[in-house]
This record gives sequence, structure tokens and C-alpha cells, in this order.
Amino acid sequence: MIGPTEVLNTIWIGIIYMIIALPLTLSYKVTRIINFVHINFITIGAYVGVILFLLGVNSLLLVIPASFLFGAAIAVLNHFIAFSPLEKRGANPVILMIASLGLWIFYKYVVYAFLDLGQKVFRTNLFSVIPRATSLPDVSVGGYVLSGHFFAAILVAGVILGVLYLLLSKTSVGRAIRAVADNPTLAEISGIPKERVVSITWALCGGMAAVGGLLWAVFAIATPEVGDALILQIFAVSVIGGLESLLWTGIGAFIISGAENILMSLLNAVLGVPVSFRPFISFSALLLIILVKPPLGAGGGLPYRFKIVRHYKR
Amino acid sequence: MLEVIDLARYFGGIKALDGVSLKVKKGSIVGLIGPNGSGKTTLFNVVTGFYEPTRGEVWFNGERIDGLNPNEIYLKGLVRTFQIPRLFQSLSVLENVLVTPPHQIGESPLNALFKKKWANQEMNLARQAFNILKMLGLAPYTNIKVSDLSAAHIKLLETARGLMGGAKLLLLDEPTAGVAYTTARELFDFIVKLRDEKGLTFFIIEHRLEVLMDYVEYVYVLHNGKLLSEGKPDEVVEDKKVIEAYIGEG
Amino acid sequence: MMLGFDVIGFLISWLTLFGTYAILSMSLNLEIGFTGMADFGKVAFYGIGAYLAATITAFTFLFVNGIKCPLHSVEAIVALKECASKNPALNVSIFVLCILITFIITGAIGYLISYPTLRVGPAFLGITVLSFGELLRIFMRHFEPTGGTKGLAGIPHPLAWIPDPRLRDGIYAAIVLVVMLLTYLLSEKIANSPFGRLMRTVRDDEIATLCLGKHVPRIKAAVFFLASGLAGIAGVLLAYYLGSVNPDMFVPAVTFNVWAMVIFGGMGNNKGALIGSAIITFVDRISFVVNLLFPQAIISPDYIRWMIVGLLILITLLFKPQGLMPETPIKTLALTAVAEESGGEENA
Ligand SMILES: Nc1ncnc2c1ncn2[C@@H]1O[C@H](COP(=O)(O)OP(=O)(O)OP(=O)(O)O)[C@@H](O)[C@H]1O
Ligand SMILES: [Mg+2]
Repeated sequence: MIGPTEVLNTIWIGIIYMIIALPLTLSYKVTRIINFVHINFITIGAYVGVILFLLGVNSLLLVIPASFLFGAAIAVLNHFIAFSPLEKRGANPVILMIASLGLWIFYKYVVYAFLDLGQKVFRTNLFSVIPRATSLPDVSVGGYVLSGHFFAAILVAGVILGVLYLLLSKTSVGRAIRAVADNPTLAEISGIPKERVVSITWALCGGMAAVGGLLWAVFAIATPEVGDALILQIFAVSVIGGLESLLWTGIGAFIISGAENILMSLLNAVLGVPVSFRPFISFSALLLIILVKPPLGAGGGLPYRFKIVRHYKR
Repeated sequence: MLEVIDLARYFGGIKALDGVSLKVKKGSIVGLIGPNGSGKTTLFNVVTGFYEPTRGEVWFNGERIDGLNPNEIYLKGLVRTFQIPRLFQSLSVLENVLVTPPHQIGESPLNALFKKKWANQEMNLARQAFNILKMLGLAPYTNIKVSDLSAAHIKLLETARGLMGGAKLLLLDEPTAGVAYTTARELFDFIVKLRDEKGLTFFIIEHRLEVLMDYVEYVYVLHNGKLLSEGKPDEVVEDKKVIEAYIGEG
Repeated sequence: MMLGFDVIGFLISWLTLFGTYAILSMSLNLEIGFTGMADFGKVAFYGIGAYLAATITAFTFLFVNGIKCPLHSVEAIVALKECASKNPALNVSIFVLCILITFIITGAIGYLISYPTLRVGPAFLGITVLSFGELLRIFMRHFEPTGGTKGLAGIPHPLAWIPDPRLRDGIYAAIVLVVMLLTYLLSEKIANSPFGRLMRTVRDDEIATLCLGKHVPRIKAAVFFLASGLAGIAGVLLAYYLGSVNPDMFVPAVTFNVWAMVIFGGMGNNKGALIGSAIITFVDRISFVVNLLFPQAIISPDYIRWMIVGLLILITLLFKPQGLMPETPIKTLALTAVAEESGGEENA
């Protein structure tokens, strides 16, 4: 039922969820935009890996920065062509979200079109590939053979999270980012170049999500829908963090990943729920969080409570 | 009419409101003053259900109302305006006022389909709304979109909206901020008139003490979330603690 | 190569498609245009409507004719084809019944699914219903009683008893347009009433609306009920038009299409929604024909089409945020009353 497989899956999937969801929370905190292009970052990050591996670039040390740069570039581009002009015109959060929806559709089919062309060039199936050119040695722990990729991914993830932590807590850029996140108006008054901070945040978030997508693809698979397939889980994770707390987003990654793996296999063993129903777990989790611990302050929303209050009379 | 007992509201470590008790009598005009960030707006927010109190009780007309939702509190006759006006940008001035009256027939989606049912009421409310606009000098702007309105007019409209509903007690948050001195006095004259004619009660946050003190009967002074002083306007103005609080703030 | 382009056939298929999408667009317009609720899962309710119609119709026909076999089996399809035109009254009454039932059931499902999101920020409704649609599709793919991935086929057309297919399709297109017109009238009535005013105040500032004593969650729930119900009706019309349903007809892309129509046409304007859907469905039909002409394009025209849909949303928001038809002021009686009241004194 719950064996080492489930535990290991929980760990690596949790880590990848974390790498993808943290930038979602962070970019929302700083920009107040629910950014659906996050989905594209994942897919594009994965395919940067696929294409580079196909071109013979084998070293993860090259592929990961390339993925990061691609994601970062798109994120910054979006900021300049879409979000920034819209914000200057005073567009409300709903409009910004819809703009990101438009961009999401656009990029999604750009990827499709690109893969369509790429198939003809590379003469291989690009619509579902695993970018795994490097062969890392397997490691056996207590009788269990673990793929070398597992450790590579954990290592990469650890490095990324460490860098993110140091950046946010120890550098002046990080302090500026946090200042803008906490109170944009105040930050601007106190002389923080908000526009630049927002661009840097976008670059950071786009890049990180792209690397997350790459890692996911190395483990699982790259398809043009890989980002779309992860959106529910990633949003659920971010909502656990209230779209506000990075710490809780990190914890949320493991809650969702644990529910998807450990809880799923329990349900499968005890009640015979088919494994293909896994997404329903994340969905239930999402609804549960929204009902029980709604992210009101940060996520917008109403000062309205569903509970019934007794009316005392004197 | 309104009684607040040991009310507190914390935001994380910030004690925006820390154990405030006060009373507002029916038919009176009461002021609430205090330096910036002293918790005045937070008090209104907690009283009107916008925030849940961390501690304490709010009683209105002999009924405990803390923990109720903002819409329920409004319907009990406790109406507030916002310090930063929250008008409906895409609607006209008239419509902004017209939204307010509670329990309109055409507000149910089913009745909305049958114009006959709500037409009469709509006409009556529109006339009422127009009269209020006229009294506040907003009549020339009746059919103008709020987004094209000047700041002072926006502030007045916010008050007009407060006056339109079935209010018993009005909480006004800096109704004269950004409004010309004479207009401010006119507004307060109008408030007194409403109190005398309709028996409304007012609880008003104001930074313009020179205007406020001429109209209110009683003043509460907040400082750092606590009640610093209270009393008749002339008593409070003399109070050393109050003067210090205002000077200390700069 | 196509020789002799069938203009009337083209028009009929376009009008049917237009009517269906126009209903979807107007229902989305009620949500996003008037109330500011970002429904990214329109397709879910469209799909529920289609599946309800397909299931109810197929089941009733088999039951009435005393045939016992699974709805999705080949025998069922054959049997349905045989009994489809036997009893016109049955066809028509089931059609009407399906529209009514679907409106209520789909609306109720919309209400339930939106309930947890009514008090949280705009993003949550969007994500919840988007995921709901996708999960529902996954579920239907695995749900054997409605045929799994293959879905249901052979659904008797409400006009199956009309022998001439051209005439049948023409009349059906007219019916779709009538339903569309009714939807339009309904939306206009709602939008130009005190309730419509509340919808707009919720869109402009839902917190202020709540603080003015309005039960905002209830307003939103009502709008979502209505809009989902209407989307369900569009689904019914689609199911009968195609005669079959399957899960993969209801991918998120359908939702995006509707969004492009509403944004391009003009949010908060029902005529805009009509025009937006007319233009985009027309381009759709044309490109379908063009596709047939160029089967060997380097990049599938489908992808280009979707890129354009995405860009259309973005570009409209950037350069013409009101869309083709800007929102018009509410037509209630208020101004007449004011004019009477002020007599001649007001002329600003
Ligand atoms: N939602 C909130 N989250 C965190 N802190 C808050 C929040 N609302 C208010 N505060 C803090 O509570 C304190 C009191 O604020 P409040 O707005 O009540 O002051 P005020 O007396 O109305 O000031 P002003 O005269 O400037 O309007 C301030 O320090 C403010 O920063
Ligand atoms: Mg204040």
C-alpha cells in the first residue's frame, strides 16, 4: 500500500511542485496578477531541454540555465508588451488575468506549431518525449535502486531553493522585492524602483517555473500539455500558501504531492478508486482550502463569512 | 444606540485597535478624532463587520452585531462611508445613489424580468435620490459617469450614497477631506438638519477639527488604538494629552 | 478540390453554429461583462447540457420502443436510427423537455460548483471551473454508461420526421436562432433592471456592494445559475445538431473561443456578444473550408487559428478594451423620473 515508491514519489514530485508553485506565489505577491502564462513557462522550459538534448547538448549545467533564460525572457516580454501597458491604463485584476489567459492560449499554440515544424526537421516524435540524454548512474539504497536523476533533481532543486532563499533574504534586490510585495505604494514612495523590481521578479519567476518544467519532464514526460496538466496542482499548492506565504506554499507542495501519492494509493487499495482519478484529489483539496481557509486578504475577495452568527439581545 | 465594549483588532503584531469602549447616543452627532494611523478607520471597519474583532463586543440598538456580515449590519441601519471613496466607476452619479436603498423589488432576478413590478418603485427612488443630490449640490452631474467626476464631488457622492439608504446611524469617514471649506460647512449644516428632521445619528471621523468642533456634541480621541480622551469639544481641545498626541505626530 | 461551393449548406451550418455560440457568449457576458465573474469553465456546462440531452433522448427513445441495450452500443445506435422518425410528437416534446430540464440541472450544478468561490477573489472561480471542466472530461472518458471516449451517437433529431435533410437543417437553424433571440431578450431585460445594476456594482466593487447591504454571494450565485443554465441549453442545441456527443468535443479551447467572442464583441454589451460570435464563427466556417483546400499546410491551420484567438483577446484588451460595441448605460426609468422632477431647471 504505502511503500517506499509512494514516499519517494511524494518527495520528488513535492520538490518539483515547490519549484513551480513558489514563483507563482511570488509573482502574485509582487504584481497581483494571476498569471496563466505560468503554464507556458513549464511547457516551454521542458521543451528547451528536449530541443537542446536533441541538438546534442547533454550537460544539465547548460540546459538548466538555458531553460531558465527562456522562461525569464518570456516573462519579462509579457510584462512589457501586456501587463505594464494594461496596468498603466488602470486595468483591474480581472482584466489582467484575462490578458494572461490570452497569452496562455497564444503561447500554447506557438509551442504546438513549433513542434509541428520540429517534427519535420528532427524526424522524431516531439509530442511526447522524455529529455533524458545524459545517463546518470543508478544508486542503490537499502536494496532499492534509485535513478541517478532522482538525486540530480533533488540537488538542482536544493540549489535553486537555496539561491532563492539567499536572494530574497540577504540581497538588496530581495529586500526590494519583498518591500514591493508587502506594500507597493509605500515601496514606491520610499524610492524603490518598482518597475525594475517587477521586471526582475518576473524574470526570476518565469525562469524558475521553466526549470521546474524541465525537471518534471526529465522525470515524467514532455508533452505540449505538460504545463496544462500541472495547473490544478500548482494552483492548489499556491492557494494553500494563501497566494501570500512562501513558507506555506512550500509546505503545500508536499501536502498536495502527499495526497496525490500516498492518499491516492490508500484510496486505490482500500476503496478501489482508479489511479486515473488522481487529479480529483487535488481538486477536492482546492475546494476544501477555499471553503475552510479562504485566501481573503491577498487573493482579493469579500469580507463575508458563511458561518451562522447567533444574535444576542439585551 | 451604538455601544462598543473593549473592542480590539490586531493585524499580526500591529494592534490597530486595542481595547476601545465608547457609546453613541441616539440623535447625537459624535466626532472621532486622532492622529494618522491611530485606528479610527479600523474602528469603523470592525463595527460595520468589515473586519472581525480580535476581542470585544459591538451592540447596536440592543442587539449584538459583532461577527455579523457587512451586508447584515447595513440592513440593521448602520451605514458607513469609506475614507477612500469606493464608488461604482462605470455607473452614473444617479445610479450610484440609486443602488443603495435596501430590498428593492427589481433586485430579485425573477422580478427583474417584469418591469411592471418594479417600475413604480424605481421612479420614486430616483426622485428621492435626485433630491439628495440636489441638496449636496450634485444635481448638475446626475447623469455623469463617476469616473469623470472631480475628487471633491466624489467625496460628496460617497456621503450622498450613505444618506440614501434606510440608515439610522451613519458612520462617516472623513466626509470633508479634499472638499472646500465652505462646502464642508454646508455639508455639516446639512448633517445637523438631517439629525433634526429625520432623527438620524452621526458618528464622524474628521481631521478638520476647526469644522468638526463647531458641530459635534461629543468627541472621542483615539491614539495608537486606545482611547486617549473623550468629552465635549471644548474640553477635549484643552486636554494636554490630546495636544501632545497631535504634536508628537508632527 | 471542391467544385461548386454549396452556399446554402454553408449558411445553414454557419447560422446553427452562430446561434449556439451566441448563446454561450451572451451567457459568458452575463458573468464577465456585467458581473465581473471570470468563468474559465464555460465548456463544462456546455458539455453537461449536451450530455444530458443525448442521454435523456437516447434513453427515452429506447425505453418507449421497448428496446433493452446499453445506450452506447451499436444496437442502440441502429435502433435509434430506426425509431427516430416514427413519432414526431415524441421528438418535439423530448426536445422541449430537454431544454427545460437541462437549464435547471446545469444551472444547479453551476450554482453548487461556484458556491465555494463566491467570496474569494476572481481567480478562484476561474481556476475552479476550469479544473472542473477538465476533470469532468476525464471522468466522462472513463464512464462507460455514456460510452467512455466514444461517447453517444445516433441521437434522434427533433425534426427527424422531416424527410428532406436540407429542409430539416434549415428549420433547425431557425429554431436555434429563435432560442438565441429569446436568450438575447432575457439578457437585455436582466441587464436593464435594478438587478442588472447590482450586477454592475458587483463588477465595479464587490466589497462596496456588500457594505451597502447587498447579499453579494447570492447575486453572484444567481448570475452563475442563469449563465450556466443558458450554456446548458446551448449544449442541448449542439447535441441535436451533431447527433452525437463525446468527451473530447468539450476541451478548454471551446471556452477560449467564447471568451474571444465576448471580449472582441464588447464586454457588457449583448449586441457585442452577438457580433463577436457572428464574426468568429464565420471565420471558423471559412477556415474549415480553406482547410479542406490545403490539407498539406506546413503548420496546421488549426494552431494558427488558436494563436489568433489568443492574440485577439490580448490585442482587444490592449488597444480597444471596450471591444467593438462599448457598454451602454442602463435603461431603467430613473432618468425619466429625474427629468420630471427637475423640470426645466436641469440643463447641464
Ligand atoms: N488590513 C490591514 N492590515 C494591516 N495593518 C492594517 C490594516 N488596516 C490598518 N492597519 C494598520 O492599523 C493602523 C491603524 O490604521 P487606520 O487606518 O485605522 O488609521 P486611521 O486612524 O484611520 O488613520 P488616518 O487618519 O490616516 O485615516 C495603522 O498602523 C495601519 O497600518
Ligand atoms: Mg482612516
